[in-house]
Parts: sequence; C-alpha cells; structure tokens
Amino acid sequence: MFTKILKKTMEMVVTIFIATIIIFVLIRLSPRDPVKIVMGNPEIAMTNTKEYDIRYEKMSEELNLDKSIPFQYISWIKRVLKFDFGKSIYTGRPVADEIKERIPATLLLAIPSMILQCILGISLGVISAVRHEKFTDQVIRFISVFFSSVPAFALGLMLLYYFGVHLKYYEVSNVANLSRLWLPVIVLGVISSPSLIRVVRTNMLQEFGRDYISFGIARGLSKGDILKNAIKNIALPIITILALSFVSLLSGAVVIESIFTWPGMGRYAMESILLNDYPVTQAYALFMTIMIVIINFFVDIIYTYANPKVKM
Amino acid sequence: MQIRKLKCEGGDKMQRNKSLSLIIGIILITSIIVLVAFANVFAPYDPIEQVPENRLMSFSSKHIFGTDQYGRDIFSRVLFGGRTTLTTSLSALILTVILGLFLGMVSGYYGGLIDALLMRIVDVMMAFPFMVLALIVTSLFGISFLNLLITVVVIGWVPFARLTRSIVIDAKENTNVQASEILGAKSWRIMIEELLPQVISPVLVMATFELGKLMLSISALSFFGLGAKPPSPEWGSMLSDGKTFFFQAPYIIVGPTLAIILSVLSLNLIGEGLRDLMDPYEIPKLEDCPKRRLLG
Amino acid sequence: MKKKIISIGFVAVLALVLFVGCGNDKSTQGVSGQKSTEATKTVDTKATDQEELIFVEREIASKTDPNFYPGSSHYIANGASETLFKIQANGEVEPFLAKGSKQIDETTWKIDLRPEAKFWSGESITAQAVIDSLERSRETNVRALPFLEGISFTPIDDYSFEAKTERKNLNLPLSLAYMELSIINASKAHDSIETMDMSGMYKVVEFQPKKKIVLEINENYYGKKPTIKRIIHEEIMDNEARTLAASSGRADIVRGIPNESVAQLKKDDNLVLHMAPAANTQTIYLNLQKEHLKDVKVRQALAWALDRDELVVLGSEGLSTPVTTWLGSNPKYAEAKNAVYTKYDSEKAKDLLEEAGWKLGDDGIRHKNGEKLQFKLRTWGQDKALGETIQNQWSRIGVDTEVIYGDYALIETARETGDWDGLIEAWQTYGDEYSLLSGQFSPTGTANYGKYDDVETNKLLEELLNAKTAEERHERALAINERIAMEVPAIYMYPRVETSAVKKSLKGYKEHFRQFENVVNSDLEFEGY
Repeated sequence: MFTKILKKTMEMVVTIFIATIIIFVLIRLSPRDPVKIVMGNPEIAMTNTKEYDIRYEKMSEELNLDKSIPFQYISWIKRVLKFDFGKSIYTGRPVADEIKERIPATLLLAIPSMILQCILGISLGVISAVRHEKFTDQVIRFISVFFSSVPAFALGLMLLYYFGVHLKYYEVSNVANLSRLWLPVIVLGVISSPSLIRVVRTNMLQEFGRDYISFGIARGLSKGDILKNAIKNIALPIITILALSFVSLLSGAVVIESIFTWPGMGRYAMESILLNDYPVTQAYALFMTIMIVIINFFVDIIYTYANPKVKM
Repeated sequence: MQIRKLKCEGGDKMQRNKSLSLIIGIILITSIIVLVAFANVFAPYDPIEQVPENRLMSFSSKHIFGTDQYGRDIFSRVLFGGRTTLTTSLSALILTVILGLFLGMVSGYYGGLIDALLMRIVDVMMAFPFMVLALIVTSLFGISFLNLLITVVVIGWVPFARLTRSIVIDAKENTNVQASEILGAKSWRIMIEELLPQVISPVLVMATFELGKLMLSISALSFFGLGAKPPSPEWGSMLSDGKTFFFQAPYIIVGPTLAIILSVLSLNLIGEGLRDLMDPYEIPKLEDCPKRRLLG
Repeated sequence: MKKKIISIGFVAVLALVLFVGCGNDKSTQGVSGQKSTEATKTVDTKATDQEELIFVEREIASKTDPNFYPGSSHYIANGASETLFKIQANGEVEPFLAKGSKQIDETTWKIDLRPEAKFWSGESITAQAVIDSLERSRETNVRALPFLEGISFTPIDDYSFEAKTERKNLNLPLSLAYMELSIINASKAHDSIETMDMSGMYKVVEFQPKKKIVLEINENYYGKKPTIKRIIHEEIMDNEARTLAASSGRADIVRGIPNESVAQLKKDDNLVLHMAPAANTQTIYLNLQKEHLKDVKVRQALAWALDRDELVVLGSEGLSTPVTTWLGSNPKYAEAKNAVYTKYDSEKAKDLLEEAGWKLGDDGIRHKNGEKLQFKLRTWGQDKALGETIQNQWSRIGVDTEVIYGDYALIETARETGDWDGLIEAWQTYGDEYSLLSGQFSPTGTANYGKYDDVETNKLLEELLNAKTAEERHERALAINERIAMEVPAIYMYPRVETSAVKKSLKGYKEHFRQFENVVNSDLEFEGY
C-alpha cells in the first residue's frame, strides 16, 4: 500500500516537472519578446538606437533572459521551492499575489457554472434517455447540438446587450461580484452542458439494458426509484466529465471572461501569453498542472474503489 | 433492437423512429457534402470577389444568407468554405483516430510503465486549455494549415486513446487473447487480430461525434487566425469575423452557424444510428399502458 | 424522480436569481469599500452625477510609475500628471504646467515656471524638481529618449531653467509637450499609491493594475480645479464589451470604440461620438531588399492600383479620408493630402507593370522571366480587413498577393528574416519634422523597414536639419514628402480613426487629434447639476 502511494506521488511529481519544463521552453521559443513589449516604442521613430540597445541588454540581464534556458529553469525551480513565484514582467507585482486575487473570481464563476451544468446535464440527459427517440428526446438533442455549435461570443454578446443595454439591468464593468455573476454563469453553464447531456443520456440508455432495471419493473418499483438507482450507477462517467469540466472552468473560460470582462484566471493566462510574461505563464502552468494531477488522482481513486478491475 | 414488451405496443414506433434518425442523418450529411462538393454549381456568386456597394446586407432573395463586410455573398462562401472546413475536419479526424487507437492500444495492452507514462502525458495536456495551446502554437510557429492540424490533433487523440485503452484493458482478460499469448503469438498480431475488431465499432461511433467537436474546435481556432488563408472562405473564420460586426450586422454569423449546426447534427444522428445498429440498447419499456406517463 | 430533479433544479435557479436580484439592488462595492452607484434601471443619478466620472479604455496603466509602459499617456489622460507644454487641438504648442518659454539663441532656451504650482503632496514644483523629473524620464523611460536627445538642463533660479540643445533651432516646447515627459516628483519612489506624487489636477487614491484607477481632486492644484469629485478609470479590453459599456449608459467616456461599432452608437441619442482624425498614416511599408520591389515602376504601380476610397470603406468603415502622402495626415500639411497620386488609376498601374517587364499570364497573374509577381503582405491588430481589401485590389492588376494576419511579434521576426514584401503600420505624423522624417526615411531610421537609402532624400533631410525658420522647415518637409511619394518606399492610404463615445450630458469634452492624452480636463461637468 505504502509503495503504491509513493509510486503515485512520484508519478505526480514527475508529471508536474515535465509539464512545467515543456511550458518553460515553449514560451521562450515564441518570437514575442517581453522586454521589447515592456520597453515599448517611442512615439516618433528613432534614428539612433544605441541607448535603446544598452537599456535592452540591461533589462534582459535583470530578468535573467540572457542566460541559457536550462539555467533559467533551474533558477526558477529554486525560487519556486521557496514559494517565490517571481514578479510579473508587465505589472511588476508578485505573481503569487496576482493569482491569489484572481482565484476567488474564477471559483465564483466556475462553481455555480458547474452546478448549473450538472443540473441541466443530468436532468435533460435523463429525460432524453427515458423519452428515447420520442419527440422530447429529439428536441433535447437538437438543443444540445445547437448550444455546442453556437459560438460562445454570440450567446454572450447577445445576452450582454439585452440585459446590459436594452434593459439596463446588468452592469457592464470589470468587477467580479455577485450582482454580475448570474449572466456569465448562465452562459457558461448552458454552453458546457451538451457534453454532459450526451454522456448521461448514453450511459442511462446502457443502464436501461441491465437486469436490475427489468427486475425492478417486474417487482413493481416506482419509476422514481428505478431511475434513482440508475443514476447512482452512472455516477462514474458523470464524475469524469465533471472533473474535466471543472478543470477547464478553472483554467478559465477565456471567451466568456473576455466578453463579460470577468477578472479570472483564464484571461490572466491568455494575456500573459500574449505579452510573453514568462513568470506569470510559468506559475499558471504550475498551478494548473498541480490541480489536474490532484483531481485526476481523486478520480482514479474513486474509479478503483468502484471498479476493482481497473488497476490504479 | 429488443424491447421487452411488458404489455402494450409502442415498440414498433420506437424502432421506426430510430431508423428515421439514422436516415435523416445520412440524408442531411449527404446533401451538405453534395452542396459543398459541387459548390461551383450551386453557389450563385463568386465567393472571393469584393463588392463594397453590397456590404453587410441582410437576408434577401438575392442573398439568402446576406453579404459579408466585403459585399461577398455569404451563402456562396458557406458552400465553398464547407470544402475547407469539412476536409480539414476529416483529415484531423483520421489523424486523431489513428494516433488515439495506436496509443490507446499500446498503453492498454502493455500496461505498466508505458501506460503510466501515457496517462501522465494526458494529464499534462489537460492542464492547458485549448485556447492557450492554440495561442502558443500560433506565436511559435505562425499561422498555417499544418499548424491548425497539429493543434487539433495534439488535443484530439485523447478521447480515442482513453476509449481504446479501457476496452483493451477489459478485452485483455478475454480467453481468446490469453490463448494466443500462451501460444506465443506476437503482441502486435494479437492487437490487430483480437483486439482491434472489438475496438473498431465503439471508436467509429465516437468518431462521428468527435468529428462534430473537431469542426467546432477548428472554427474556434480561427479566432487566432489559424484557418484558411484569406480570401478563401472557411466556416470558422467567417464566424470570428462575425464578432467584430456583431452589432452592425448580427446576421452575418447565421450562415456559417447554421452550416455547422446541420453538419454536427447529422453526424450525431448517424453516430446514434450506427451505435444502435452495432450495439443496440436494450430498453425495457418503462411505461405501462395506456396513460401512465413517466413524468407523473 | 424526474419531477424531483427538475424541481430541485428550478428551486436552485430561482434561488440563484433571487440572490442575485438582491445583490443587484445593493450598490456594487469596489475593493476599497467605496460605494459607487450603477446605472440601474431608472435610478435618478442627477444629484450624484457630479460625484464621479467613469472613463473606460482598452488598457490602463499597469504600474504606479508613469515612466513605465504603458503608463505615460494614461496618467495625462486621466488628469494625474501634466507636461510643461501641451499640443492644442489646433496643432499649436502652448505652455501648460510651465508659464512660458523663450528662445535665447539657436541652441538655448529659457523656460519659466509657475511659482504657485505644487505636486499632490504640496511640494513646490521648482525648476530643480522639473529638471529632476526630466532626468528621471531620461534614465528610466526609453520612449522619452528621442525627445531629450542632445538636450541638457540647468536651473537659473527657483522657477526658471535653461535648456541647451545640440540641434539648432529645435522647437523645444514641442519636445517638452510629449507624454513621456510629464512632470512628477522624482524624489518619491512611485512604486505604490503612497509614494506617487504627480503634477495633475487629480490624484490617485486607488490602483488595481489592469482593472481600475480611482482619482480624486488634487487640493493643491495650481489652476482651475475640476468640479467632478472622482474619476474612475477602467479597463475593458474586449472591443465589443467596451462598446456596450458606452451604450449601457454606465460609462461617461469610452475611448477606443472600434470602427465597426460606430454605426450602431451613432443611433444612440445619449451619446456624442468624437472622431477627430488622428495624425497618423496607415502605411504599407515595402521591402526594398526584394528584387521585384527594387524597380520603382513596380512600386509606383502598386501605389496607383490602390482605390483609396474603397480602402476607406472596407478598412475603416468609411470613417476616414484618403491620404496619398505620409505627411498628409498632419493637420499642418493638409495641402499634401492628395499630392502625386491624385486618383485611383488601375490602367496606369497596369501600364507601369508592363513597362517593367511583368506580363499578364493566363492565370491572371503577371510573370517575368518565368517568375510570378508575388507579394507577401503582413498585417496585425485592427488591419485585417484592410489587408484583405488590398489583396483584392492588387489581384485586379495581376499581383498574386498573400495576406498573413497575425501577432505583431511575427512581423518583427519577419523583418529580421526578410520574409516579407509589405507590412502595414501607422506612425504618428505630428511633431518635429526632422525627427519624424528621419525616423521614417533616413537609412538608420527605425521605421525605415524597407531600408530605403536615397541620396536626394538624405540631402533634403540634411537641409531640413539646418533650416533656420519655420517656413523653411515647412517647405523642406513638403519637398521630402513629395520625393518620397515619387520614390514609393512605402504606400500611404489614410489616417487611422480614433473614436470616443461621450455621454451627451457631459459638457466640456475637448475633441483632439491626440485624444489619448486629452480626456480629463477641469471644464468637464455634467449638465443639469
């Protein structure tokens, strides 16, 4: 048992390392130069770039960017182990602070969206399965396809316009508070439900073929009880999808966050990539990988517990 | 499809509905393919020529989907654009299926270190949201069709690998496979002869659904310019243009959105139909007749 | 069972909506706990209107130090800091924080300051303080370098100083009017709100990087104090969301309205749109290192083949006006607006290409010595539509144009590797003529992407440098402008349009061709107060 846990932990640590190395290298290969971005360009084109070049060298040196990539990585890891995630090149503030500020906003958006996704996914999926091939099923499947095909920005902008401009009920600003929460949650929840609806529907239909269903019917159990049992049995695939969903919501629903100007992790990460703000992107990658590894670990445990055939 | 008839009829109706879905799906996708393949016949206008006087016109009998910001007929662009979108999605699908099958098979059959490694790679990939990966690819490698494929394939193989892996893990215990192993057959032979047939049908079904998802991913990537090179039309880039003109001319996204919806819908219908053919659900009738409804 | 799920769902959603609905009635709370009223429903905000002004932009300062990009213009725009001189809407440079200036001789100026001027902290803005601020800019702000190059400062007394310039007859007030040289208290660190100390009419009381800056009236301000108590400077990056901030009535001033949204905002009776044409010129820079572009006839053909009216419609939503030479967008050089390329002439373009040896093939593309006439055009930012329109227009004369739209960094890389034939960019055209033109056309100019090196132009630049009077400068600049248009190292199209949406009830807003640093002023007040 102990060796298993140790092995598992080693795997997780290795994964985290590999992920961070990959990101570390990838973003440095990008042609965007953070030093150039942060130095900016004068309003009038220069004819003499001597001083500019000197300052450029100086700043690159300060940011360690003139050293080799392995050197930079090792210095970064050394600092990370002391819980120092560096400072954002662009704003100069400690990355840890900036992430800490954005986590509440991200969670505030992610958790209700997931709850909504759950409610819509399970209820519509079950209804769809029960009314298999009937009209209701077709309608739900069409709605499912519709909401997965419609671009997120269209839905977002439309609702933002309607509630923000037409009714003047929703505030168009950039804060993350309760009164601005409901609209992006609705959009996000609705857009992420189709995959859950499909999974629930498929798995329910498979469940219906199992013996206990017909036994239940024969014994005269109420439909409600039968379905309750069925839902319990399909909990595993649902959990997998929800875990995936949670991860993607955590890493940020970039489009929705942009449109509603919600100060979450998704936008933060995206902006840091656009600016090649290395410390931010690296910290973000680290954070996300840790989250995923932990979540997958728990999902694995649940799976093993529920289904002994699947080896850990 | 077996339906345990408890008392009353209704089973035949369900069966009819089922095949109807499959047929509708096939008809739909075929019509789309025909329209798109013969775009030069069906399209009323040149999809590339700019006609500034006709900018951003709404739906009319002359332009059933309206015109875009350069005055080009959107219906014609949807037809021609379908070629790019559908072939790109199809190519991406084939690549992801092959890659996913291979990796899933290997991982599931050999287990152990290889399996652990693969699962960790999957973890690492899941850490990065799709958009982020796309951004990284565009900034590193620029914008081209190849990079589009790479981005999509790099993410897309995961569901296939997972599915294959789980089926193979189960199927490994099967007696045929164990017998072959004892008889000393080579691994790859076992994989191809014993395991592959078991994997094919679920993977095929998944493929139809994934094709839809791929089309959506490809259109999302167009937001970063990873798409057809202008002036070639492509559903995804037509959608991303729609954001800039959303207030001035919201109707310009209707054409490509409709095309995507219909394509994805038909693929889903076909997927469902195929699944029923190959691996039908056994659904006991949960309704007594005549009037008791489940939602009661 | 179904019923249960649905009813639970219903209740949950209902609860959420109620919860939220209650939340909506409360005022929104900023981080500091300040309550700000929102434009919800028909709440009567008149009485509190003069309390605050909400100013929304695409991007706000990311640090408390204005010498740090992108700070400078933003701290001037929101009234936090001031420059010694200011470029007025009519293009004239006038004293602002400074009291006046006097040119002593060809290389010496005397600047007089206001004795009553004070920083936020109350410390006096002395000559030494001003010099310290300018030197701080020189040291820490790369973007200030071109405006301080060859200039040295010495204080004369408490409120005046002398400036010595290397260049003869430099227009010093103009140089000192640039946003990178706003005056701050250099003895303070400017690394947090507490250590910020600037010279403007408003002072920063709250700072959330990339989100919000809140400013309140600076009680120590020397001049006419503003009447609006608080400025809330917000960042909304998404173009369409920013447009909605304007239409929703919540934001009082919104800068950076995308061209495509203008048509819709025009219909809004509560908004006034300000679209002063900016002094910059959208340009296609040509790579003169490429063989086919070394022939001036080819370049001229490309210039004649552009239907600029169509470009304006498709590239700027019809909001701009065509300009055929670089300086044409500068209000002082309006006479050069349509010089040389007086109209769209595709026939002439085709003739020029024929003369240059590029014959039309069966594929509709011109060939010479077995090679196709190909052109790789790189665009970025807002110029996607412009690039595609140019592609279309050039295809009409047989040029096989490829348009690559992407990140600016990709263009920088392409410039290094040489993998480009043309790229689109827009530089400022207002300012000191010599600096502007040498930056664009001298062999060492950083905006001279195509490595243009022309004897005649260099000679004219030299003459411009040595010009003694403003009239002489004007005339030399025009000559260079015309030479460039004939030689076509780059093709000029139209000035970029910048649109701001301002609430109708807000009076005192000044339309300016340098809108990015001219937003908040002390005349702003809400009507009906």
